[in-house]
Amino acid sequence: MAYALQQLINGLTLGAMYGLIAIGYTMVYGIIGMINFAHGDIFMVSAFIAVTAFTLLAAADVTSIPLALTFVLIVALFFTSAYGWAVERTAYRPLRGSTRLAPLISAIGMSIFLQNAVQLTQGARVKPIPPVIEGGVQLWSTPAFTVQIGWSQLLIIVTTVVLMIAFTWMITQTPFGRQQRACEQDRTMAALLGVNVDRTISLTFMLGAALAAVAGVMVTVYYGVVDFFIGFLAGIKAFTAAVLGGIGSLPGAMLGGLLIGLIESFWAAYLWAEYKDVATFGILCLVLMLRPSGLLGRPEVEKV
Amino acid sequence: MKKTLLATACLALGAYSQTSLADLSVAIAGPMTGQYASVGDQIRRGAELAIADINARGGVLGEKLKLEVGDDACDPKQAVSVANTMVNKNIVFMHGHWCSSSTIPASEVYNEADIPMATVSTNPQVTERGLNNIFRIMGRDDQQGLVAGGYIADHFKGKKVAVVDDKSAYGKGLADEMAKAVEAKGVKPTLRESITAGEKDYSGLVTKLKQAGVEVMAYGGYHTEVALILRQAQAAGLKLTVMSGDTMTNSELVTAAGPAADNVLFTFSPDPRKNPDAAPVVEKFRAAKVEPEGYVLYAYAALQLFEQAANGARSTKYADLEKALRNGSFKTVIGDLSFDAKGDQKAPGFVVYRWQGGQYDYAR
Amino acid sequence: MSTVVFAAHGMTPAERLRDAGWIAFVAFILGVPLIGLTTVDVGGRLAVNTRFGLLAAAVAVAFGGRLALRWAFDRLAARKASRQRAGSAISRTQTIANVLGWIALGAAVALPIAFSDNRYVVDTATTVLIYVMLGWGLNVVVGLAGLLDLGYVAFYAVGAYAYALLSTQYGWSFWEALPVAGAIAAGFGILLGYPILRLRGDYLAIVTLGFGEIIRVILVNWTEFSGGPNGIGSIPRPSFFGLAFTRSAPEGGHSFASFFGLEFSAMHRLIFLYYLILVLALLTHAFVSRLRKLPVGRAWEALREDEIACKAMGMNTTHIKLSAFAIGAMLGGFAGVFFAARQGFVSPESFVFTESAIILAIVVLGGMGSQMGVVLAATLLVLIPEFGRNFAEYRMLLFGLAMVLIMVWRPGGLLAHREPTLRLAKAAGGEQ
Repeated sequence: MAYALQQLINGLTLGAMYGLIAIGYTMVYGIIGMINFAHGDIFMVSAFIAVTAFTLLAAADVTSIPLALTFVLIVALFFTSAYGWAVERTAYRPLRGSTRLAPLISAIGMSIFLQNAVQLTQGARVKPIPPVIEGGVQLWSTPAFTVQIGWSQLLIIVTTVVLMIAFTWMITQTPFGRQQRACEQDRTMAALLGVNVDRTISLTFMLGAALAAVAGVMVTVYYGVVDFFIGFLAGIKAFTAAVLGGIGSLPGAMLGGLLIGLIESFWAAYLWAEYKDVATFGILCLVLMLRPSGLLGRPEVEKV
Repeated sequence: MKKTLLATACLALGAYSQTSLADLSVAIAGPMTGQYASVGDQIRRGAELAIADINARGGVLGEKLKLEVGDDACDPKQAVSVANTMVNKNIVFMHGHWCSSSTIPASEVYNEADIPMATVSTNPQVTERGLNNIFRIMGRDDQQGLVAGGYIADHFKGKKVAVVDDKSAYGKGLADEMAKAVEAKGVKPTLRESITAGEKDYSGLVTKLKQAGVEVMAYGGYHTEVALILRQAQAAGLKLTVMSGDTMTNSELVTAAGPAADNVLFTFSPDPRKNPDAAPVVEKFRAAKVEPEGYVLYAYAALQLFEQAANGARSTKYADLEKALRNGSFKTVIGDLSFDAKGDQKAPGFVVYRWQGGQYDYAR
Repeated sequence: MSTVVFAAHGMTPAERLRDAGWIAFVAFILGVPLIGLTTVDVGGRLAVNTRFGLLAAAVAVAFGGRLALRWAFDRLAARKASRQRAGSAISRTQTIANVLGWIALGAAVALPIAFSDNRYVVDTATTVLIYVMLGWGLNVVVGLAGLLDLGYVAFYAVGAYAYALLSTQYGWSFWEALPVAGAIAAGFGILLGYPILRLRGDYLAIVTLGFGEIIRVILVNWTEFSGGPNGIGSIPRPSFFGLAFTRSAPEGGHSFASFFGLEFSAMHRLIFLYYLILVLALLTHAFVSRLRKLPVGRAWEALREDEIACKAMGMNTTHIKLSAFAIGAMLGGFAGVFFAARQGFVSPESFVFTESAIILAIVVLGGMGSQMGVVLAATLLVLIPEFGRNFAEYRMLLFGLAMVLIMVWRPGGLLAHREPTLRLAKAAGGEQ
């Protein structure tokens, strides 16, 4: 029981991170209907920015953890959003209005480019930082096993919940959210009604990148080690999460992320860890067979 | 398209033949880019100094050596492509590849092209396939696993042991051998697990180890994953000792795992840096600001091997070189080398090391 | 409303400078965290190094590059505007593609003769042809039937492992195993196709991606069956009508070299393999071209254009989709068999997602549905990283960049044309 609780905590932490990245996929998909394959690599870039920022702070002898975290978050948000904007502007905008597959290939190319650019400029070696947040609380202690939740795990879960609430509010209540949803439904019509479509799309990319930046900082804090390859694996999982939840739906992305995190944890905990990816994709296939638009996705209306 | 291929290929051909006319070309190959790029770096640095030293002594049979570097990124398909490139460059000797999964397919190309190779890949299959151009200057996973498993059984009596691997050819081979060796000494591993290399989250594995009360983990795989597992074990309040193989010689382990790296034991050939004959070379490396750790001296030794074999045979023809390598005994910076009929090193000793404060030394 | 607008009027120099300045500013922002700053390992800890010189250089390159590019684009646009195009663009691309096709075929046949002693060239050309074949196979699924498949490499793997196992376990020869492996791969295609018939677009993409991963993970873990991460080695090579390419002839028989009285050379086998894949690829081409003219091929293209209309016309979309998956998978399986025979070694590392992405990129870059486009794109995508070998660590960077640039330059693919398979006769057209 204690063991299951610990695995639940592990799964939630992992799932929260997948969810944060998945929201970026889902928002971009919602608005321009393309899979942004480079999103995982944007996340990776942000993790590298976080490592540099943490190292700078360590050199400047900053010891206050909240101060350090805020600084790193701001730096990462700024630069990562810039990357999100630049990727959209160079690789996707020229392709808007062409076939559905063209931006997909461009995105795959961008993903390869970013991975190698980071490898070249920052080196292929793994980048470690000393543990930033240490310790945690013991939730439950049995003679055989002590359930423990680390402060960093708590931080990840809380941040994710807060961001989720903030985003839902933004999409449903603010003018930007309305514009964003208008573009999602009908870009031409939105443009006719005075919505600046290009700007809205750019902002969507920047917001998606910002969420990836938060995830990148969290990963750096939690695992303490980053390398140029993390974007690929996390990207595939987050993409799966977005589809599982119903691509285009924000709560769906979060739900999908959590589910994938939990499936991975519990499958690895009780069954064969080596087949956990098979389990993830197998469950995805099952869900899609029963609900072809994902768990919370709206069924596609086919206009003839 | 094909025409461009032809045209560009002509250009490429021109470029290659120019480079291979003047000197004797020898080659190294390994992961110069990708996840294990730091190892490729070690190999290159070792080889570069060896070439410089050999050329300073007047080269081999009066000809200067020229180094070709191949990058396979530990991908078997690229390894074959590299091998073909090297054959085209008319190399007379190859040191590589590094990953067993690259060495195995590439060696067939070298074998057909009559190029002798010295490798540090430890998978038994490397020399078990009856190819007579392969010489292994390192031990084998089965020997390595025997030493590591024996050490665990002797030094951690009564503690629970888990055997974990990363599903790579090297990792799984080593882990299986360690499991066999531990069981032979009457210790039954509590857990047998596999992980996926390249991931970051191993908290599931760590929790599982904690639940089972495991204190010693015999691990087959590379250093990056060990660093992460140790870090996450520490965060989860699990004190874990890791026993692993030659890949742990990489100082990246210490950078990434921090102080937790002091719990890492591993097997490796007797430290060549402690070899008195190697002292001048070690000095040279340190003067060039290269710490001769891991595979640096192996790369140096591989080229010494070629130098001595070629000088001894008074030829760089394959048949002569192969005979010289098979029958001779060579004095190198990693000790005296001689080979058996399969091409395995005759006296490959493995010793257990422990990381301590950023250095590794023999474990007591 | 959105694509890069090339100003019709000439830009003033001030405007050009401002534009380039803006790009330089963006390059600066992007460059600071990755180029300007880097972390290096100093004795077990990280320290930050600054490389402001390099950053300044990068910004300067961005500035100058933008100025030059803008100027070149403007010149190009002006020239294009002033030149009236003659003739129908579609039929022109078509003729060019035809001519190029014959030239390519000639070059492909002549290549091993011209480079009979160059192992590298023949080997690389063989790789190109493998990708051409894979591209043609995937073209059936993606280009013709319009089903996005991100896990095509799974069928390639099935073919490769089928041959590896049949030959090493049961001693089957290449020619015996080829059709069987193709059939097994086709079976997997139906197996994958069946449960996901209801899915559309990107849902289909992720399931196929998942399928590819599942196959790979099973290959890695099921050691008893597939050899796990060690893969399967010592796979027999195909023989030339029973004549093996070995140095010494077998007891009482002949090897290829001894039969023809040639001196043994490892090149014989390479050249043989090259022609083998060339023939396989040409057969694939003939097969697919034929299919396009048959009802089933027409049905695929109809499905791609409008699924609802297909249903309304009473077509059985289930059969159409499954036939596309099965035939695409079979061709992938053939390519896999050849791959295993050529490498003599298969391991799961050869069948990762990146491979699927590259095959898909070949189809899309070439121009969806265009057979010649696939050849062009496969040649490019194999040769870019190979030539990049001279640039060592820059090669994959260039590869990614090239993919983006080609796509942006020609969004419809290199040889983009959507040639109607069937034209209405002008006279019967009536009101056209």
